[in-house]
Amino acid sequence: MNMKLETLVIDPPAPTRKIGGVILDLQNISLRFGGVKALTDISFDIREHEIRAIIGPNGAGKSSMLNVINGVYHPQEGRIVFRGQERRQMEPHMAATQGIARTFQNIALFKGMTVLDNIMTGRITKMKSTFVEHALWFGRARQEELAHRRKAEEVIDFLEIQHIRKTPVGRLPYGLQKRVELGRALAAEPSMLLLDEPMAGMNVEEKQDMCRFILDVNDQFGTTIVLIEHDMGVVMDISDRVVVLDYGKKIGDGVPDEVKNNEEVIKAYLGAGH
Amino acid sequence: MLYREAGQFKTSYAADQQLFPIRQDRIGVLLLLAAAFLAVPGMASEYWFSAILIPFLIFALAALGLNILTGYAGQLSLGSAAFMAVGAYAAYNFQLRVEGIPILVSFALAGLTAAGVGVLFGLPSLRIKGFYLAVATLAAQFFIVWCLTKFPWLSNNSSSGVISAQKVEILGHIFESPREKYLLVLTVVVLMALAARNLVRTSTGRAWMAVRDMDVAASVIGIRLMPTKLLAFAVSSFYCGVAGALYAFCYLGSVEPDGFSLEMSFKILFMIIIGGVGSILGSFLGAAFILLLPIFLDVGLPWLAELFHLPFSTATVSHIQTLVFGALIMFFLIVEPHGLARLWQIAKEKLRLWPFPH
Repeated sequence: MNMKLETLVIDPPAPTRKIGGVILDLQNISLRFGGVKALTDISFDIREHEIRAIIGPNGAGKSSMLNVINGVYHPQEGRIVFRGQERRQMEPHMAATQGIARTFQNIALFKGMTVLDNIMTGRITKMKSTFVEHALWFGRARQEELAHRRKAEEVIDFLEIQHIRKTPVGRLPYGLQKRVELGRALAAEPSMLLLDEPMAGMNVEEKQDMCRFILDVNDQFGTTIVLIEHDMGVVMDISDRVVVLDYGKKIGDGVPDEVKNNEEVIKAYLGAGH
Repeated sequence: MLYREAGQFKTSYAADQQLFPIRQDRIGVLLLLAAAFLAVPGMASEYWFSAILIPFLIFALAALGLNILTGYAGQLSLGSAAFMAVGAYAAYNFQLRVEGIPILVSFALAGLTAAGVGVLFGLPSLRIKGFYLAVATLAAQFFIVWCLTKFPWLSNNSSSGVISAQKVEILGHIFESPREKYLLVLTVVVLMALAARNLVRTSTGRAWMAVRDMDVAASVIGIRLMPTKLLAFAVSSFYCGVAGALYAFCYLGSVEPDGFSLEMSFKILFMIIIGGVGSILGSFLGAAFILLLPIFLDVGLPWLAELFHLPFSTATVSHIQTLVFGALIMFFLIVEPHGLARLWQIAKEKLRLWPFPH
């Protein structure tokens, strides 16, 4: 088999970007840690294939919101309806099997592993072989490793990180680590991707690259994207709808232009005296 | 120049994902195996087999077991010697109580018994991490040794729990001489090392390393923490258990519970720290370092003292030996905290270009 040919055979699916119905509906979510109210009575929905931004000042509860969506935090009140089904007890690993992937605000890569291994780990929910087969390199183990390697290479090609596939991620510069983390999330072929400040700390070019990847993911794979970002230029440019949080409460929701002119949002960002 | 990867093109993922993807590694490993299986048995003396090579291999296996748990899955454990004890006593009891059970089967069952006990003591790892977990595994260390002394049934009512291992007989052939026992131990260790290598390069190993490096992220991408950690405890204890069975049957012949002391657990822990945490090669290098260096100093120091006409008594020499041993450990940890395996890796990277500057 020729590797060159293998990796080139990725036919980009025809652009599927057409915003569909509600895929995730959050109703009256409240989350408390002891006496601290992280989220209070927040409701919004996420539609299929859209890019949905969550913005707000520091400490507004944006990351908590993502943690609620993928089951790391359990809200005390409220309903979460995902694909028409109300979600009950939830463990973080279950979100992954339901097709929700995420990246973290502070890079959460597996530092001791290579880029390739990190991305392969992203596909772990799709692997069926058992550890006995792994130990003996027998049965499904070999087949699976090769098949998933091929998928991992598609992600590597997509993100243009071929040259570092065998590098331990701990040695990579910050911008590339962010990209690898996106790769690990993409490797799971998620239907919904939660990105927690994917562009924090990047220079302009790196931001542009990241924007391009996010738009491409959304466009080519039809992935629904939930994005937390502080760069308002980026948010207003790429997102379809924006929800604004402040002190754990929702203060705005709508298309970027609406949000930009929302009195309360301006107040939260620029202060009341403005 | 001496360690060239240039020109070795991989044209398929299978070629890139084989056990040893680099040609010279493959050749090196084959040469090493050929030497260990063919050359060494013809050359080494009885002393070498029974005092150096067999314990080296057995401790390398135990270190490999601990490395799977601590180095790959990131769960610190101080109970390796206790899991070896479980293996030794389990193998003894299977031989004793099951009529006509083949020795290799009882070794495997001993490993499985140790794996079961390991899972039990691994349960706290679901709640606690790091040093606190180490303290919890310390409980395993003391509890198991106590248990083996306390319940005479486990040692067939022998005084103070001493057991004498039965004969090692495979297919009618009795493994009696140190050479034969060496070959048996070598075979087991090589096969288990290959299995470990397979485990850590596939998704099992990736799940372990993911849990080690960042457990929250691991669970978010779909790794279930509990089964992953417990599997690491099981596999690790299996390795330690088999090592313990070999320790009793092929090395000492008779063992007592107190022989599997905390000191031995620490020794195994030092082996992986010196050799390289999270490296299979490191387990072997560390075992060699910790076991061979004292022997080397034992022989070398008196010789040096005599050479320079230093008026050292034997007692002084043994004190100096301890000092030098400690100093060398510190030296290695300062120079390369990631162990001998990393030094070897750095050497390989340098040898790509050497002797040319670039």
